[in-house]
Amino acid sequence: MLQYTVRRVLDLLPTLFVVAVIVFLVTRLIPGDPASVMLGPQATVEDIEQMRITLGLDQPILQQFISYIGDLLTGNLGTSIYYKEPVTALILERFPNTIVLSVCALFIALIVGIPAGIISATRQRSWLDYSVMVVSLLGVSMPVFWLGVMLVLFFSVQLGWFPSTGMGSMEDGLWSYVSHLILPSVTLATIPMATFARITRSAMLEVVSQDYIKTARAKGLKERYVIGKHAFKNALTPLLTVMGMQISLMLGGAVLTETIFSWPGMGRLVVDAIDKRDFMVVQGTVMFIAIIFVVINLIVDLLYKVVNPKVNYSSRKGGE
Amino acid sequence: MKSLKWMTIALLILVLAACGGGASSNAGQNTEGQDTAATGEETEATGGNLRVALAATPKTLDPIAYTAVYESNVMKSIFDTLVQYNDDLSEIQPALATEWEVSDDLKTYTFTLRDDVSFQPGEFQDGRPMTAEDVKYSLERSSKESAMNRLRNVESVEVIGDNQVAVHMTEPYSALLAVLTDMGNAIVPKEEVEGHGDAFGQNPVGTGPFAFSDWAKDDFIKVTASETYWGDKPNLDGVEWSFISDGNMRANALRAGDIDVATEIAGQARALVQTDDKLKFLSTPGLSIEYLAFNMTEGPTSDLKVRQAMQMATNVEDIVKGAYQFGGATPARLPLPEASWGYDEAAAGKIPGYDVDAAKALLAETDYADGFSTELYVIEKRVPHATVFQTQMKENLNIDVEIKTLEWGTFSDTVSKGQAPLYIMGWSWYPDPEFFLYQMLHSNQIGALGNGGGYSNPEVDSLLTRATSETADQGERAELYKQALNIISEDLPHIDMTQVEITVGTTTKVNDYKVSPDGSITIVGNGTNVSLSE
Repeated sequence: MLQYTVRRVLDLLPTLFVVAVIVFLVTRLIPGDPASVMLGPQATVEDIEQMRITLGLDQPILQQFISYIGDLLTGNLGTSIYYKEPVTALILERFPNTIVLSVCALFIALIVGIPAGIISATRQRSWLDYSVMVVSLLGVSMPVFWLGVMLVLFFSVQLGWFPSTGMGSMEDGLWSYVSHLILPSVTLATIPMATFARITRSAMLEVVSQDYIKTARAKGLKERYVIGKHAFKNALTPLLTVMGMQISLMLGGAVLTETIFSWPGMGRLVVDAIDKRDFMVVQGTVMFIAIIFVVINLIVDLLYKVVNPKVNYSSRKGGE
Repeated sequence: MKSLKWMTIALLILVLAACGGGASSNAGQNTEGQDTAATGEETEATGGNLRVALAATPKTLDPIAYTAVYESNVMKSIFDTLVQYNDDLSEIQPALATEWEVSDDLKTYTFTLRDDVSFQPGEFQDGRPMTAEDVKYSLERSSKESAMNRLRNVESVEVIGDNQVAVHMTEPYSALLAVLTDMGNAIVPKEEVEGHGDAFGQNPVGTGPFAFSDWAKDDFIKVTASETYWGDKPNLDGVEWSFISDGNMRANALRAGDIDVATEIAGQARALVQTDDKLKFLSTPGLSIEYLAFNMTEGPTSDLKVRQAMQMATNVEDIVKGAYQFGGATPARLPLPEASWGYDEAAAGKIPGYDVDAAKALLAETDYADGFSTELYVIEKRVPHATVFQTQMKENLNIDVEIKTLEWGTFSDTVSKGQAPLYIMGWSWYPDPEFFLYQMLHSNQIGALGNGGGYSNPEVDSLLTRATSETADQGERAELYKQALNIISEDLPHIDMTQVEITVGTTTKVNDYKVSPDGSITIVGNGTNVSLSE
């Protein structure tokens, strides 16, 4: 197990390097000179030239890349061109807000998605099953931006139940905090919720038809135990894979959701940074998300073992 | 195990019930507020916090470091400048300086300062009185360090008494007062600036009506009424500035009652705010213009008759309608917005009107009777303007216009080097004509972004220079600018297209909120004191 863990961690390094290269190149390909964007129309040509030197943009691209990789190795994501603060500090300042939003969304997605999938599977071909499937299909295909705006129009503008933007503060009471969280986390939860429902359903259906479930039933176990304990536990493995992916995707979805709801998280930081051609922040944040992405996948891989001890790590080596 | 499960479920139900309860009581409050608002009864100001949504997130509130108007809007509640514009930007009024004198050579400005001004208490001083030394410190700091070069031509600032300072200029410059209204030249206390170092921009202290209190990154900035403010006592307890980048979401937040004021209401959001009777829609023509500039040095447009023909073949009204489908702009006629005190109706009247037949006849007299091909440079957001113009040129004069869309960096590079045969750009600055006419049309500015068309007329150059070096009297200066505008409208270096409106939506609870043509927001001061009805 330990050996496998170490090997998996080492496997991540080339992946991260490739991500670093791509991120660096892509941010350089966004059209627009950060110096002139920052200084605005009234800047003189000399001002812009001076700014380019200050920002190190006059250096050859290879040199910029080498110093970027060097910084990365020491855990330094660079200094924001616009804020003139370390990118790591900017990210860490906003990351907790993104985590709060993502965890809430994940919670909603799980407590709604998984039971819906189980119900759907146990009542296959009932009207309940069809409704869950139709709703989850809608959920997967709903554009996040559109959904967010619709929720605001209905729950904020029409009903006045929840605030439309910003983040509440604990100082104004728990309700202020929670009420600000509801619409953005429901928006962010929609796609994973629908995905969990569909995956749970199909995994459960597969498991339920197997012999040991029939045996369990034959033994006279209560249906609740058969489904909850035996079947669900075995359906958990595929669900775990999808969960890992959904959590990573959620960080991407948070970019949109945070922009719609003016949520002060990492997503807004990226969108603002793209507007301002602050590519130090763009590449820093994308690197940061990439690192989280691979770490989550690593955790998911390791969790397989915990959930299902029968997973044989050495067999993964078979093809090499 | 089993009991734990049921306890969890019970807890969940409880939480949901609590949420539901909270929601309905919240909704109750909302309706109550709306009822009062709908009847429009003038109730007494209750203090309270005004919630204003800006379109972008400020990064710093340090005067010398700020780069955008939404930053200066927050700064305006915390800081004061020596002088300020009045409501309609027609003249300059006292602020921290009660009066000023300009030397005959226009090189020395002597300011007399108010003697009852104190800074807000901060970390490094406890709210001490503002002195002439602070003015010297602040202006010299801006003159040397301002990122945006907001205080130019200043040689030195001299303290000549407890409440008098003299600003010495390197050359006669009567636009100095306009420059001093900029938040970049606000008066700051030295201890705080040096004590905080680079973090002063996150912990601003000034002499304004509100004191900075709290900043949640990307979320809000809070300011509270300053106890020691020298002017009228603020009606509000404080202001909360929040940041909502999407225009429709700003309108939605306003309709939902999450904010009291939403700035930059444009496009579809205009209709949303205008038709909602619980909201007020405020607008005024802005201090900005969008224009098409001709290359004056080479190609067909270096011929005056070609420019005249193209001006006559351009239906500006259609461009305004095409580019601003939901409203929000008016046609422009001069390279100076109507909101500037230098605007001249007579010069505007000289611009040829839309007349296709006359345009055709005029073009027939040139070497390009059958039309020609040319390129028009724009940035993405002005493609609609360019497209309407392109159609009009093709239909009316058989001129083929190829639209080249560039991002800002490349666009400004191409334009400032004079490489664009035609380009559409926007310009906005102080109400002083200097910042439009000199920057865009003086031959000294060829090579800078302003005069990318390469317009050069010695007579205009001389009038524009005289307007800032010969007199500081606004009336006399306006006269010189009018003469310059009259020549410019005969030379036709631009087709002026649109003046964009400054628009704001507020709830009906907000009283005394004024929209300024320069987009600045005054909460307290200059005869304004915003309040909230119960």
